[in-house]
Amino acid sequence: MPRLRALENIRVVDFSWVRAGPWATRWLGALGAEIIKIEWPESERGRLPSTTTPQNLEVNLNTSGNFADTNVNKKSLSLNVRSAKGLEVVKRLIAVSDIVIENFSSRVLRNWGLGYDELCRIKPDIVYVSMSGYGHTGRNHHYTTFGPVAQAVSGLTHLSGLPDQPPAGWGWSYMDDTGGMYGAMCALTGLYHRNTTGRGQHIDLSQMVSSVPLNGPALLDFTVNRRGSRRAGFPPGNRAHWPGTPLVNNYRGPTVAPHNAYRTHPGGYNDWCVIVCHSDEEWRRLVQVMGAPAWANLEQFTTVAGRLQHQEELDERIEVWSMTLEKYELTERCQEAGVRALPVQSAEDRVEHDPQLRHRQMYLAMEHPALGRHKVQNAPFRLSETSASNHLPAPLIGQHTREIVESLLGYSHDELRAGFTDGTFWPTKRARFAYQEEMLQ
Amino acid sequence: MSDAPGPLAGLRILELADEKGQFCGKLLGDLGADVVKIEPPGGERCRHVGPFLDDIPDPERSLSFWYYNTSKRGVTLNLETSDGRQLFGRLAAAADVILETFHPGFLASLRLDYESLREQNSRLIVCSLTPFGQTGPWRDYLSSDLLHMAAGGEMASSGYDDAEVPDAPPIAPGGGNAWHMGCHFAYMAIMAALVHRTVSGQGQYIDASIHEACALTTEAAIANYVYRGEVLRRQTGRHHAAGPTPRTQFRAKDGTYVCALVGGRLNPKFVKDLAELMDSYGMGGDLKDPKYQDQAVITANASHIIEDLVANFISSLPAEEVYHAAQERGFTWGAVRAPEALLDDAHLHDRGFWKQVEHKELGRSFVYPGEAAIYNGSPWRISGRAPLIGEHNTEIFCDELGLSSGELSVLAESRVI
Repeated sequence: MPRLRALENIRVVDFSWVRAGPWATRWLGALGAEIIKIEWPESERGRLPSTTTPQNLEVNLNTSGNFADTNVNKKSLSLNVRSAKGLEVVKRLIAVSDIVIENFSSRVLRNWGLGYDELCRIKPDIVYVSMSGYGHTGRNHHYTTFGPVAQAVSGLTHLSGLPDQPPAGWGWSYMDDTGGMYGAMCALTGLYHRNTTGRGQHIDLSQMVSSVPLNGPALLDFTVNRRGSRRAGFPPGNRAHWPGTPLVNNYRGPTVAPHNAYRTHPGGYNDWCVIVCHSDEEWRRLVQVMGAPAWANLEQFTTVAGRLQHQEELDERIEVWSMTLEKYELTERCQEAGVRALPVQSAEDRVEHDPQLRHRQMYLAMEHPALGRHKVQNAPFRLSETSASNHLPAPLIGQHTREIVESLLGYSHDELRAGFTDGTFWPTKRARFAYQEEMLQ
Repeated sequence: MSDAPGPLAGLRILELADEKGQFCGKLLGDLGADVVKIEPPGGERCRHVGPFLDDIPDPERSLSFWYYNTSKRGVTLNLETSDGRQLFGRLAAAADVILETFHPGFLASLRLDYESLREQNSRLIVCSLTPFGQTGPWRDYLSSDLLHMAAGGEMASSGYDDAEVPDAPPIAPGGGNAWHMGCHFAYMAIMAALVHRTVSGQGQYIDASIHEACALTTEAAIANYVYRGEVLRRQTGRHHAAGPTPRTQFRAKDGTYVCALVGGRLNPKFVKDLAELMDSYGMGGDLKDPKYQDQAVITANASHIIEDLVANFISSLPAEEVYHAAQERGFTWGAVRAPEALLDDAHLHDRGFWKQVEHKELGRSFVYPGEAAIYNGSPWRISGRAPLIGEHNTEIFCDELGLSSGELSVLAESRVI
């Protein structure tokens, strides 16, 4: 039986592409909104190029694994918005929708004739979320980003790495994921505001700007104490503090030791565990777990100040012990004794070996018409009354064009066919997929 | 517009949160919700996390606490006393949302869990934001930011090229972002429940997991494994990948770095633009040679273009200059800045990003970072600095709940507040 959903009867016109925007609407879809993804194969970015197509399938518009995970819970309308007829269709769609969301450069939608003023003429209480790189105002609004550039310019990259080495940064587009979060958060906040006041608005989100508040304590250390973060021993890798440098908080939490990643048996690429002791009590528990070795009773290790000062030796000795255990076994032994430890987990570890994620059903398989049956990532929260589970596989491109154009917008079947002939719903020179031929019958 | 209320005006949030959830309370408060932070008598333990104002440790001088607790009022209350529970029950009866980060089962042991509280307030939304959620074999495990970055997969994706830093460990990016990831998803779940309530009139319970939030935040790593069975390798300052990709981080003249995407984009149009960019500094080298309009020649010379021409170009200029010159010509490049460099960013100033926040008791104002997004119809704002310990006890307990000053004194003496 279908459960109640939080965003039942909410419709989203989704112009977004690549990652950040689609990651935002994925969650609105999981929460029950109807997401209508507007796509055009000639200017598509997100399905292609694909590096996540299964080895046994041809790379095409419908076989990207990453697209499939990023776009569950959506319907796809293939539409040339840059044609007069296409613009007319999209305006009819906006008139019966609640939210418009896009992550183009700052002037694109306006240049199409779909600026906020025009959106309001079509639907006076529309909630419009623009997710551009630098926002719609400010002198650099025309600059472009992708995750790593937003991370670099905002200071996030600088906070990751070992002292006296280049920044390690983030090994993926953290700000595409997080930018997507903010896109969904803005849409939900705008929707709540609309439901309580009757008024829509334009919410101008910027990927670069939204990265900056994630550096709050480091920024206050500068604006209040005038202490910059280009300093000896910063960033301190996985430690809370780099030995031999002034004792200053590193903006991750309390300054303690041990606080590091340690190799575990059998020493493979991702065979690491992190161990953190927040207090002397937790340190004493770790000593017990390690079998109370004599070195651990040396005076320099009995106080937090001593452990911070003698971290090199401390970490070396802990690693001699950690190398004797496999990472999940080490985790279990530590946690059972009240010691903070968890394994470094690859994607394979999370999907196959993490007992908690398995228990919480984080990855449930779904059937996709082109990719077959694969695990899809679920929501990290359970709402008791309105579930947020995946209910639609990612759409094939243009899969729902007929349903949207005829059933929702009231065009006739002949008009649909005409739109395929004149290049409104599919480029005239591009071969059609079998499901498109079928919808034209 | 600037006087208009924020989008969440009128909502009352009770926050019982430590480092795991305080950012979520800030997100709600800065958008106009009336967030009342309930701390144990003496103050919440995050007040002891540095850095501190002028490096003087004091629960009222933690900059970390200041940052994560703007736009909140603060009361103290010991929930493990019957007076404390009773007062909390009265606050919960009139609240819209309770955000809590206690160990699973703690509020139930005090009969202050969702099931108990909803009896007197069916519109109430309770969000429990915990390391692993309310169920499962790791439910009772301890955590920290570093632990979440390990198990969530952030570390497995971040680090160095083998050749650049041999034997480097996986690296957990700093800044406390495991808590941010959890708070972003918790905020989303709370807003979904609030939107639903505008239609249904009913509240609900939310069980949010930080571990799951982190496990969801590694872009295509899961898809690479699920669809292709690949486990990705760490690379300096750029995306994890199944096989090595060209570097994107180049050292500039000032010793800082530039994130410059070149490899993977080398086509005739890109090379032409690149030649013009570098030539505007007289450093186009041989790149203007028409032979570089042939894709085969470009591909054969990729390493020359990246390692000789681009690397030399960037190393001859300050990072900021490369960043702006490249962006003005359409390159998606950026300077790798330290956070404090953002104070000089003209674009942020144009957007009114930096906010003066008054700390009246110190007779000073400080500059705080502002909003991720501009809400054009209902502005984001910092309504006030983080509360002092128990700063609003009188306002909430006396003015609102009707306690007399005598009763308040009694509660203070018996360590209830």
